[in-house]
Parts: sequence; C-alpha cells; structure tokens
Amino acid sequence: MMKALSLAKIAARNVLRNQRRTAITLAALVLGVGVMITVRGLLNGLQYSLVDGVVHGQTGAIQVHRKGYLKNVLASPLTLDFEDAPLRAKVAAVAGVKAVAPRILFPGMISLGDETIFLLNQAVDPALEFEVCPNRLTLIVDGGKFASAKGAPAKAQVADAMVVTVELDKALRAKPAAAGPAALLAPDRDGTLSGENVSLVGTMQLNSPGERKIGMVRLDVAQRLLKLEGRVTELVIDVHEIEAIPEVVAAIQAAVGPEFEVHTWEQVAPFVVDIRARQNAVLQIVATVFLLLMLLGVANTMLMSVLDRTREIGTMMAIGVRRRTIVGLFLLEATLIGALGGLLGGAVGAGMTAWLGARGLQIPLPGSSVPTMVRPFIGSGYLVGVVLLATAGALVFALYPAWRASRLRPVQALAGG
Amino acid sequence: MVSPERFASRRLGGGAECAARLLVPMFVAFALLPSPAVAQATAESLLRQYDGAMGPVNFEAKTRMIAHRDDGTTRDYTMKVTKKGDDKFRVQFQAPSAVAGQEMLRVGDNLWVYMPNLKRAVRLANRDSFQGGDFNNADVLRVNYQRDYDGKLEPSCTTAEAHCLDLTAKTKSASYDRVRLWLRKSDGQPIKGEYFGASGKLMRAAEFKDHKAFGGLTRPGKIVMRNMLNLKRFSEMEWQALRTDVDPPAARFVLDDLGK
Repeated sequence: MMKALSLAKIAARNVLRNQRRTAITLAALVLGVGVMITVRGLLNGLQYSLVDGVVHGQTGAIQVHRKGYLKNVLASPLTLDFEDAPLRAKVAAVAGVKAVAPRILFPGMISLGDETIFLLNQAVDPALEFEVCPNRLTLIVDGGKFASAKGAPAKAQVADAMVVTVELDKALRAKPAAAGPAALLAPDRDGTLSGENVSLVGTMQLNSPGERKIGMVRLDVAQRLLKLEGRVTELVIDVHEIEAIPEVVAAIQAAVGPEFEVHTWEQVAPFVVDIRARQNAVLQIVATVFLLLMLLGVANTMLMSVLDRTREIGTMMAIGVRRRTIVGLFLLEATLIGALGGLLGGAVGAGMTAWLGARGLQIPLPGSSVPTMVRPFIGSGYLVGVVLLATAGALVFALYPAWRASRLRPVQALAGG
Repeated sequence: MVSPERFASRRLGGGAECAARLLVPMFVAFALLPSPAVAQATAESLLRQYDGAMGPVNFEAKTRMIAHRDDGTTRDYTMKVTKKGDDKFRVQFQAPSAVAGQEMLRVGDNLWVYMPNLKRAVRLANRDSFQGGDFNNADVLRVNYQRDYDGKLEPSCTTAEAHCLDLTAKTKSASYDRVRLWLRKSDGQPIKGEYFGASGKLMRAAEFKDHKAFGGLTRPGKIVMRNMLNLKRFSEMEWQALRTDVDPPAARFVLDDLGK
C-alpha cells in the first residue's frame, strides 16, 4: 500500500516535471472530451426539439383509430370512421391522459379563382386541437381567425376558416386570381364529389418533412363536406408524462376495446426515430475519431517521455526497481493525465452545454421550414462515461510506451540508450 | 394482315373450286364486309373506328355508373351525357340525390365541375377519379383517341379474334400515358383495354361488353373498368340510351349555362 502510494506520488511529480508537454497533452484531451460532450449535448437538444415538435406540433403523443386504419390510409379511410363524442369521453377518462382532440384526415382539392390544387386536409376542432398540439399555434399566421390559444377570446374566429401551408398558398395565388371565395372539394364518405365554401384566412408552416401541400380546416366544415356529421377518423392525445406512454397506451386500448387501434407517436411518425438513429450513428463515428486522436496524443507523449528518461529508467533499474514497477509508473502517469484531461474536458463540455442550454439556439430542424429553439443538455451518465473512457483509454494507449520502458537494459540505458 | 380475298374465301369456307362459282360469292363477300378499314386494318383506321363508336361527333346519352367499392358496397349514379363537335362535353348527374344537379363541362383542355350547393363551377383535372369510381374524368369526358394518342399495331398481343393497338399519349391532357386496346377483327369493336401510368404500371383494365346498336351506331353497351391497384374496386358504365341524330346548341357548353 505504502509502495503504491509512493509510486503515485512519483507519477504525479513526473507528470508535473515537463509542464509544457503535459499542458499540450491535456489541451488535446480537454478539447476532445469537451467537443464530444458539447456535440452530444447539442444533439440531445436537437432531438428533444424534434420529438417535441412532432408530438406537440403534429401527432400528439398517442393516436386512436378504427382497427386497420394506419395500414389502409391509401384506400378509403373515411369509411373507417367512428362517433366522436362517446369515444373521446372514454379516452379522456383514462388516467395519465392530459388532453384529447378529434380529427379527420382526407385528400381533396382546393380551388381559388381559376386554380385547383390537390392537397391533404386535416380537419381539426380549434378549441381542442391546440391543447394536444400547442406548438402548432406558433406555426399558424391567421390573426386568430382560425386558431386561438386557450383562454384567448374566440371572437375573431371565422366559421368556415381554413389555413394552408405557405407553399400551397403561393401556388394558389400564382396566377392573378379572380375574386370570390375558395372552395374545398373532396369525395365524401360515399365517394361522391362534394364541395364547401371556405375562407382562406391564413397560412401555416410545417415542422416536419414530407408532403408540403397541406390544409387545416375546421372540423364542422369537413364533417358537412364529407357527410360525417358527429363522426371523425382520428383521436390525438397528449399525456402528462412522456415516459408513461406505454402504460397509457395499454389503458386506452383497454378502454376503447379491440375495434380500435392505439399507436404511439413513434409508430405514427417513424421518420423521427430514423432521424434520431442516424444522428446518433454519425455522432458515434465522430466521437470515436476524436477519442482515437487524443489518445494517440497521450501515447505519443508517453513514448517521448520514455525516450527522454532513458537514463533515469536505467538508474531506477540499477538500484533494483522491478520492471513491472516501471510499467506501473508509466501507466499511472498516463492515467493521471487521462483523468485530469477527462475531468477538465468534462467540466468545459458541461459548462459549454449549460451555457448553450440557457441561451438557446435557433436551428432549422430536418424537414422544417422554420427554425426551432434548441436547448442543449447533457445527462450525467454520459458525462461520467466520457471521463472514464478518456481515463481508461489513456491507460490502454500507454501500454506500449510503458512496455518499451520496462524492456530497456539497465547498462545501455545508463549510457543514455 | 388478312387480305380481302383470303378473308372472303375464309368467310365462305373456301370451298369453291371453279373460278366461275368463286367469282360471284367474292363480289357478294366484298359487299358484305363491314368496311374496307377492317380488312386492311391500320392503327389509324382502327382508332378512327374506335372514336366513331365511343365518341360520335354529336350525341346525347343516358348512362348509369355502378361503382363497386372495396368494402363490397356499391354506389349507383345516373347521368345525361351530351357531346357536341370535337371537344365539348357536358355531364348532368340525375341520381342519387347527393349528386343531382352536379354537372361537369369540358371544352378543349378545360374541365369544370359545377357544384349546386356552391352555385359555381370549379376547375378539375382530367385524371381525377370520376365521382370516386374507377373511371377517370377523361375516360368519360374526353373520348378522342386519334387526337390524344399515337397508335401502332402491336403484333405481340394480337390474337386470333382481335387486333391489338399500342397507344402512347401525345399530350399531358390524355387520360393515360399508355393504353393497350384490343379491337375485334370482325367489326373493329373494342373488347378490352389496359391503361398504364407514367411509370409503366398497369392502373386500370377495361372490358367492353354487350355490343349493340343504338339507332345507327353500334357500340359496347357496357364497360367494366377494374382498378388494378386495388383489385376489390371496379366500376360499370352502362349506356341505357344513345342518340346521335342530335345537334345540341353551342350555348349549352359554356360555364354560365351550368346549373340551368
């Protein structure tokens, strides 16, 4: 024990002996570890915003449909409809459910002046939709005519209001349009072409990749158009705790019965899961390259140290220090540098992430047309993991220099190699 | 290709040995041929004949469409179809009540639908589904294959009974990118059609049935259009009445006349 302690003391002194070399090695470690942590933190923030944008801006946390709906979207999903009010009441009563909103998704055509364009429509109830998907409100520019935040007066709302994506709005107004109201046309539940007047009161941005020609129309207008009075094809649900989604899904499934299917946002928007997996894979590669580079720096430092101290090693051996103690000494020195660099790098990375997190970054997410506020954050597990990895890596990369040192012949070493 | 002589002799059983006995029936046979076009069938003549049967210059018809949906239910529509000249079409839906009063008008490359509840017409695309069935709008309101397609005889799919025509769209307004049509050798009547999308995918397949005479015009009385992308779906179009001895006034084919 005493021996190990004194060895550690010697190692520490050796580390401090060549201060410039140690400083350069430490700088490499601090930079490497700091960058790994900052990038991970950035990605955490990005992925959180992506998921939040999808869950609270598009899909809700959970969706309920008639059985077979998701697999059948291309055929005639309007026939897989259900009575809105009773099912919504059932779902709202489930523990863990925060809000429920009804929807109908349907393809159709929007006509303005002499222009008619295909689009996908989402029919929503403005009073309920934005409790499940509050992020949508920030994407809509309508002067309160279509949507209004909770508690805000609904006075400005227009009865047949509709908003379309910025892209679609531009296409509709490409030609100088004749005056007159817009019309929304769609095959109704029977497949018969049906039309309703709508007022295009504003535009919306999208925060996810995919189809750009999308419109949002009031549920009552769509129900009239599609001959679906009181009926809808989708319920979107927000939960109190994202972590509790699996239990809430099971409880909702039990409440609505086998006639219905219950899906999580991950099943409805698998592209988010894909994007996340791809980003993580890229980060993994970048992190590995950084780690290798900085550890090669450690190995180089140790090798130079061994060459520098050939005579010293010879002296140690001459006075009876064992070869394995020499190995231990050099490994200990590398570990010390690794630990110190890791800790400093961890502190720098965590500090940087915390600063960026407090400040926030405006970054356009994949497929989104508007920048999103991203707040980087880092988990303590990852932080500790990276510091340990840097320390252990330094140890491993010092194996060869340490072995070289222990292989020196005392006589030659004393003579200066 | 079958020459008139061989065609004639085959029709007569080819049993004549004596030249004198042969000559008379040959003249008779010539007179009996439906038209020289069939005998010397070319892509052009066959297409002309197809257009003549399916879209005579002027006509007024009463048709019925039964759309079979993938859930096994059907939708039944009746409508009046009027055509004037090359490219003026008007469809007036009469039943069921959900569509009664709805109208479609085509003039040249323009197509509109008149919605009685909106009291105005809205522009439509040729390739949209016709009333949610398996015909598209152009199938019903744009029958002019001579103008829309380049045709050639395709020996590989020609059968003993039918010529096979391969048609390639000349214009984007054509109802499909490619069409294969089978026309009976005996009288040039269509019996089968296959309709392809831009990717070369088979989208629809039609059977032409119940060929019969409407006044002076012989044509299929029924077309069954199958949706090859969704095999449970198909639509039947029946011609209940058809008159070609009409000349509807041009004023019936303007936007302002819709709904009147």
